[in-house]
Amino acid sequence: MKIVKSIVQIGYLYVILFVGNSIARLLHLPIPGSIIGLVLLFLFLQFHIIKLEWIELGAGLLLSELLLFFIPSAIGVIDYTALFGEQGVKAVLVIVLSAIVVMFATGFTAQLLGQRKKGDTA
Amino acid sequence: MSFLIAIVSLLGTIAIFYTSKMFYKKYQNEWLTPILITPLVIIIILLLTGTSYKSYVAGTGILSNLLGPATVAFAVPIYRNFNLLKKHAFEIFLSIAVGSAVAITSSFTIAVVIGLNNELVHSLVPRSVTTPIAMDISNMIGGSPTLTAVFVMVTGILGSLIAPLVIKVCRFQRPSSRGLLLGMGAHGAGTSKAFEFGELEGTFASLAMIVAALISIVLSTTFFPAFEHLVVNILLP
Repeated sequence: MKIVKSIVQIGYLYVILFVGNSIARLLHLPIPGSIIGLVLLFLFLQFHIIKLEWIELGAGLLLSELLLFFIPSAIGVIDYTALFGEQGVKAVLVIVLSAIVVMFATGFTAQLLGQRKKGDTA
Repeated sequence: MSFLIAIVSLLGTIAIFYTSKMFYKKYQNEWLTPILITPLVIIIILLLTGTSYKSYVAGTGILSNLLGPATVAFAVPIYRNFNLLKKHAFEIFLSIAVGSAVAITSSFTIAVVIGLNNELVHSLVPRSVTTPIAMDISNMIGGSPTLTAVFVMVTGILGSLIAPLVIKVCRFQRPSSRGLLLGMGAHGAGTSKAFEFGELEGTFASLAMIVAALISIVLSTTFFPAFEHLVVNILLP
């Protein structure tokens, strides 16, 4: 029963996504419909137009299995044979170095700003 | 026949994913993460059986498609923790603005210095934001959107492997620092990793991912062209 409920709720999320996509297309926004859908759903929840129970199970299922949805695009790499050579190794090196710097800069800024507020653990 | 390949691709992907997830839980080793092992195993199977990516994707497209409603679903943890996020709005915005600027400048500079070709350089710049937005940005600044999609993926995989090390070495104890660096550095995959640390970390990561996407759109159209001009014409003529 829980799985049927989750699937129906994922259906509701698809409806919101569709609305988000339509808004992005009609207004020619450079923002993807999924992000607009996210903002819409947040506003609907905030103003009690949609109750959390209506979508909670489906949303929880999608978020907990998120990694699975990335797998097919990851496998797309096999169509880029040029990336298996020297340029590919270099590109991976750029990603690793840049990721370390980005994470350090982000984490450090957050840590610094957070510490100024005393007695705050979050 | 192609229908059969599609069905086997879909069921096989799900089966390999959950098997690797089981091993990951059992042995608690970062390198066994399903997002690394599953693509590796599937790529080997596709190469061995001579199956094309096109016929594989015909069956598994539904999984990529679910990324759409999954992105919408991020509204739920944000709604649940909205008070906390309001309290940290300044910290979140500033950390992500710094992170986004560092992502763009470091990707570009390192890629140019290391000697990558122009198309790869511009496809790498938007790699730290979520796929659909990264592809749009890539298009705007002269990269290849499909190559960018691959780099975004690699960033997600490697980023979620590197992040726990950065957190450990730098002793980032606060859930906000941990979540923000994961969402900023490894977008969706990082956010998923952040939920393994805890709901708070996951929420900060979800918000980081969204804010990073919006800030990156602005930075790539205003700040990046100026930075590119500076590096290419003045610093490295």
